[in-house]
Amino acid sequence: MSTPKANSTYDAQLVTNAGDVIPNGWRLLADDETHGVDGPVVLGFDRALRELDGLNGHYGVRINPGDDVRLLEPFLDKLTVIEVAFPGFRDGRGYSTARILREDLGYTRVLRAVGDVLRDQLFYMLRCGFDEFLVKDKDPAEAVTSAAKRFSTTYQGAADSARPAWALRHAGV
Amino acid sequence: MPATTQAPTPTMYKYDAFDHAFVRDRNKEFAGQVARRLAGEITEDQFKPLRLMNGLYLQLHAYMLRIAVPYGVLSSKQMRKFAHIARTYDRDFGHFTTRQNLQFNWIKLADAPKILEELAEVEMHALQTSGNCIRNTTTDQFAGAARDEVADPRPWAEVIRQWSSNHPEFTFLPRKFKIAITGATKDRAAIRVHDIGLHLKPSGFDVYVGGGMGRTPHVAPVIKRDLNPEQLLSYLEACLRVYNRYGRRDNIYKARIKILVSALGAEEYGRQVEEEWSRLDKAKVDAPAAEVNRIKSFFPDPAFVDGFDSAAFERARTADAGFARWVKNNTNPHKRDNHVSVTISLKPTGLPPGDASSAQMDVMADVADAYGYGELRVSHEQNIILPHVAKNDLYTLYEKLDAAGLGTANAGKITDMIACPGLDYCSLANARSIPLAQDISQRFEDAKLTDQIGDLQIKISGCINACGHHHVGHIGILGVDKQGIEFYQILLGGRADEKAALGQITGKGLSAEAVPAAIERVVRLYLDLRTSETERFIDTLERVGRDAFAEALHEHA
Repeated sequence: MSTPKANSTYDAQLVTNAGDVIPNGWRLLADDETHGVDGPVVLGFDRALRELDGLNGHYGVRINPGDDVRLLEPFLDKLTVIEVAFPGFRDGRGYSTARILREDLGYTRVLRAVGDVLRDQLFYMLRCGFDEFLVKDKDPAEAVTSAAKRFSTTYQGAADSARPAWALRHAGV
Repeated sequence: MPATTQAPTPTMYKYDAFDHAFVRDRNKEFAGQVARRLAGEITEDQFKPLRLMNGLYLQLHAYMLRIAVPYGVLSSKQMRKFAHIARTYDRDFGHFTTRQNLQFNWIKLADAPKILEELAEVEMHALQTSGNCIRNTTTDQFAGAARDEVADPRPWAEVIRQWSSNHPEFTFLPRKFKIAITGATKDRAAIRVHDIGLHLKPSGFDVYVGGGMGRTPHVAPVIKRDLNPEQLLSYLEACLRVYNRYGRRDNIYKARIKILVSALGAEEYGRQVEEEWSRLDKAKVDAPAAEVNRIKSFFPDPAFVDGFDSAAFERARTADAGFARWVKNNTNPHKRDNHVSVTISLKPTGLPPGDASSAQMDVMADVADAYGYGELRVSHEQNIILPHVAKNDLYTLYEKLDAAGLGTANAGKITDMIACPGLDYCSLANARSIPLAQDISQRFEDAKLTDQIGDLQIKISGCINACGHHHVGHIGILGVDKQGIEFYQILLGGRADEKAALGQITGKGLSAEAVPAAIERVVRLYLDLRTSETERFIDTLERVGRDAFAEALHEHA
């Protein structure tokens, strides 16, 4: 029997929460690269904090697990895309980052999970408010659509529209 | 089996359509993953995190399936299902754990989905019994029954169970996360050696954070007093969020919350939690009163029978010394004067602590139906509890248990040891635990000596991960490996109750052969030094200090 190919060895493709594979027009800028006035570029976190104040237009930012997302609060209206990096399957800091952005800071534009994004994490990412995924899978679109309907019961309020079991139980009350 | 009456319905949480759907969805997903693994579509490496999320470990010899017993509460029907699974899919026995769960140690991978399906029929599963997530919440084994209970912790344990099930933010924490609750004066849930310990009082919850055992043991500090129970979940969410964001992930041995709380200091950790809590949309997180009341409604008192024939009870006690001894050692005061809570000891002399055969599980289910309102508990001491037994039924119950090898009268005594599975099963262990526990229990086999010694807790771990809770044993035993030879370090003075403290290592390690005699020397010294029979081992130890005992321990025979 041939050894199966690990999902993590497939090239990452960008998929929306609706399961559409879309082109990725955004590029992560190296810290020494210059940017234009309104480019579809993603800035590193520290650079974004330093420069966004003086920039007009719409940019992206990359948040790594150790970065404190709340520092971005003053600049959120200048951001079109926020990429949250998941360097490894086991590092769950990005889930908190996403919920803080959506539920505490009120960020409403694109929130994208990048890095080691596998199908088994997508359910949790959807619930935490991500709406785009740079996912490695044989069938990335199916991975997202099946994750979305994996559980009919959820027990907590989170960043998505799913209502917790307690809300549904007492809906008529 | 109860001869004439129908099996009673225990007063415990019952799944509704939402709960059933959740477990069904999860089992369906896992069955697919197992099929992919068996077909070779995924490798063991890829399968590992998936099976761990479903409680399936690969141990030294076989797969082990760890089944969640939510806060240790079981119905007779669920216990019978365990017996059936042990008989059908394992080697005719199961192992009750210090986390109030049940492990089957000899499972075939291909059988796992079928077992999970059978468990779902009785509202059970193996979810979140491993992995870096919020594990099964544990509580007082006498909850809802104990005379010293102030508030019933079970409804809150169920509220937490639901909130923590498949939590989207907290499934990839730095490390595993364990919550314990007590609502009684005496802490039987060891809350201060848990990641979060909750003490429920009339004024609300006292919240302890950052306790734990393992390599770096800590007794948890209190970070909040009198938390309004209606805001429990949002407060826990804030505690977990601070941990998820700032707990260490660079070193598995420094990843538990105890390390974060100790590094920040309890005050600063508490401040960060308050800050996070103040920013949370609490209405979105906290279960509303209607839901809490719905959950509470599952935990009424059973329909307690009235009356007590004390003359007949005294006659039985006088006639049968074994019964008298069992009543003294294995019953706990109940809120009803004519009832008690009964501990069924799974620590008979010479057998592995916490093991029960399928036949014994059936007997326990039957006596629960006949004399215990259909309900059982698993204690963190790895025994089985019948929380409500009418005193009029005690003698018949004792006779039936004793006939099944379940009448050992040693609850809370020196032979009621906690021991991890050790090197006989576990791939992490450095040394064997179970054979040592067996040797010690043989040394103290004499019932009179056991009773003379009174309450004394020995806890044995086969490695520094401390699954056998050696840090909080009055006498703790830690297995270590020195150049391929098993040694045991002895700790003295630990306790997990409301006066929680960590034991201290005394001197060099001992060989397995030397340990039972060394413990006997310590115990003999205690008997010499105690001021009265009511001064327990731990009291004497705290009064006279460890040194004399350490000396006795290491004296050459």
